[in-house]
Amino acid sequence: MIPETLKTSLEARIASAITAREAAVDVMKELQAHYGWLTDEAVAEAAALLGLSPLQVEELATFYEMIYRRPVGKKVIHVCDSISCWCADCDKIIQHLKDKLGVGLGGTTADGMFTLLPCCCMGMCGDSPAMSVGGVPYGRLTPELVDEILEAERHKV
Amino acid sequence: MPKLIIDDIPVEVAPGTSVLEAARSVGITIPHFCYHPALAIAAACRLCAVKLLDGPVKGIQMSCALPAQDGMVVSTTDPEALKMRSLVIEWLMLNHPHDCPICDEGGECLLQDFTIAGGHSRRRYQGKKRTFQNQYLGEGIHHEMNRCIECYRCVRFYQDYAGGTDFGVMGSAGRVYFGRFQEGPLESPFSGNLVDICPTGVFTDKTGRFRARYWDYQFAPSICQHCSVGCNTSPQNFQRETIKIVGRRNDQVNGWFICDRARFDKAYLNDPQRPRDPRLDGATCGYDVAVDAAAKSITEFVRRNGAGALAFVGSPRLSLEGMILLAQLARAAGGARLSYYGDPDQQQGSVAAAKLLHEENTAYVREIEQAQWVALHALDLMEEGPMLALAVRKAFLAGAQIFLVDGDPIPARNIPPFKYTAVESLDQVPFEGGGKGVIICGCGKKDPELLAQIASSGAKLVMLQPGANGFAAALLTIEHAASPLTELVASGQVKGVVCFEADVPDGLLSQVEVLASADWRRGPVHDKSPIFLPTTTWVESDGTAINCEGRAQRFERSRVAGLPLRGLDPKYYGSATEAVTLHPPRLHRKEVPGGAERDAWQVMAQLIERLGGEPVEPLSGKWRALKSLDPEGEGVRIFEMGLGE
Repeated sequence: MIPETLKTSLEARIASAITAREAAVDVMKELQAHYGWLTDEAVAEAAALLGLSPLQVEELATFYEMIYRRPVGKKVIHVCDSISCWCADCDKIIQHLKDKLGVGLGGTTADGMFTLLPCCCMGMCGDSPAMSVGGVPYGRLTPELVDEILEAERHKV
Repeated sequence: MPKLIIDDIPVEVAPGTSVLEAARSVGITIPHFCYHPALAIAAACRLCAVKLLDGPVKGIQMSCALPAQDGMVVSTTDPEALKMRSLVIEWLMLNHPHDCPICDEGGECLLQDFTIAGGHSRRRYQGKKRTFQNQYLGEGIHHEMNRCIECYRCVRFYQDYAGGTDFGVMGSAGRVYFGRFQEGPLESPFSGNLVDICPTGVFTDKTGRFRARYWDYQFAPSICQHCSVGCNTSPQNFQRETIKIVGRRNDQVNGWFICDRARFDKAYLNDPQRPRDPRLDGATCGYDVAVDAAAKSITEFVRRNGAGALAFVGSPRLSLEGMILLAQLARAAGGARLSYYGDPDQQQGSVAAAKLLHEENTAYVREIEQAQWVALHALDLMEEGPMLALAVRKAFLAGAQIFLVDGDPIPARNIPPFKYTAVESLDQVPFEGGGKGVIICGCGKKDPELLAQIASSGAKLVMLQPGANGFAAALLTIEHAASPLTELVASGQVKGVVCFEADVPDGLLSQVEVLASADWRRGPVHDKSPIFLPTTTWVESDGTAINCEGRAQRFERSRVAGLPLRGLDPKYYGSATEAVTLHPPRLHRKEVPGGAERDAWQVMAQLIERLGGEPVEPLSGKWRALKSLDPEGEGVRIFEMGLGE
């Protein structure tokens, strides 16, 4: 269930779009912010708001990697594995993240703090290898820097 | 008109034609998976690569998405293009399981054909293949997602072309998945076309899996008999059983596709309970014995009561040949009455439509697709002519307004794939001269005056008949002044009937004597008739059907009559004397078990001869022009032959 205020604001957002579909990503992001991830219930709610079928929302939700269709930790780490970061040895960084957090790709730490996901290019090739934690971008990563970032992010509210 | 050269062959094509189609027009098949003439261009599979040696663009190009232009010099056999295609095939095959022997698509699989044609025959990839969980998609279609090559044909058909919303493509990159949000039956009434359109074995017909291979099938061009649109099909038969029914292309009628009723509603054809043996007074007998008895019974009845008391009853289920001969038979019996419809309202509407329609005012499917507005007059289109809904949808997507005039609320399962405005009368439809509008209505049970009013609107017309061959029934009714059976019986003139594939209303049967009946299904008439003559269905017979726009189309026998081999009653091979049949059984026979049925029109011809008439050829006289009808062609509108009213 979403609060009436959120529903009203989403309806306004959809009303301002030329076609309902173009508001789909915004609607999904808002619902994700509300629930923590895009639940099945949220997919159905988005579909009802947008006048699409749940499947048509699912098509979009599963296409975008920043929309989570499964529960995630408090902060999601997106670590880039595209070509430029790969050239800058992102594999080493990813391995370090796995070891440090004790999870595989797609896993969430036992304390529910971090979820580790690989991602496509974030446009930070000049600062590769790159990742983002909880939406904050970080570049020129080294294992030591990763440790600092994780420690800082763990204590940042 | 662009002129180009493909593999040293000069080609001239209409502007906007793709290079792939231009090549096809001179008999060169460029391999392709995602391209389908009925669908939008995706250029997703990268297989149709050709090399342009000269002209406005050069180098390797995708021929499906490249409009032909003047001065192009195209090579489909250039080593670079060949190499590209073989690498693309290899790449598409990375994740495809090598399970052709256990795949129902094997033998009719585009992926098989083009993999071999594309020169990829040895696997170099040693890695793991990605796999998926399949979904339950209902009783019609089996889902095998591992075989997918991501050509997007299914989703383009299902969502864009057919307007379904419950099936689509999810995920991205290597995780692309074609399916539903949750398991469950596909909702679109056109979902069966996924079977035809999938170039590999992801979607296969669940109702006929693992029964036969493509090269085992007997199949022939046929016409669907479920409604009066007259879609073209190919029933695929094996060992006297209709395994699958697939769509057959006819751009004038159904395009490439058919509805799910046409595809899946086939159990009645294979039903072992179908009455297959001639019967005389409750006992099985030889066919000629039954025909003799029927002729004798007719002669006797006419001698006692006069020919006027006897009616020969047909129905819109008969083929045109059957209808023509029924009239001849009534004449041969001394001028008996004739009836093609039981219900006066149905006959009235059907006949009125046939009289009102002519070449100028009868809509072609193309005209529906290009209409500026479409009015459905008190019509549940998904019930009465589903394939036309796809034509209306095309018009709707191009901006046409759709109106439902004076219609009952449409039940949820029959919501058409387009949005419409409900209005109370035709006056509320903005006509603008009507020249670019189409009115679609059902004509059975409609008041002729209302039909005439609809016809006078100046719009193009589609009048759906109350039966698959209703238009032909109407023409014959007009020609021979046939009357509805209800009226004939009510007026007390008719006391006896001979029925040919007729559905006589229950109340009437108690008021008349049934002398004989011929049908391929069991009904109240069958149970009441002392003489029964089994006839063949449309799958087992040759014939002609006339659809709602007056288009005569030939269907051909695609299998012999007889009981399906599967589940055959042991009485056909067991020993009559031994308790345990010796092995191998030695039961000699020369005829097919349960194969005594004959085409209805042939039974009529035999009866005519027994009654002292001349042997007749059904398509003679004014119908002779239809004799040369090509079953694989587009059919011919009878108005052109002056056969319309």
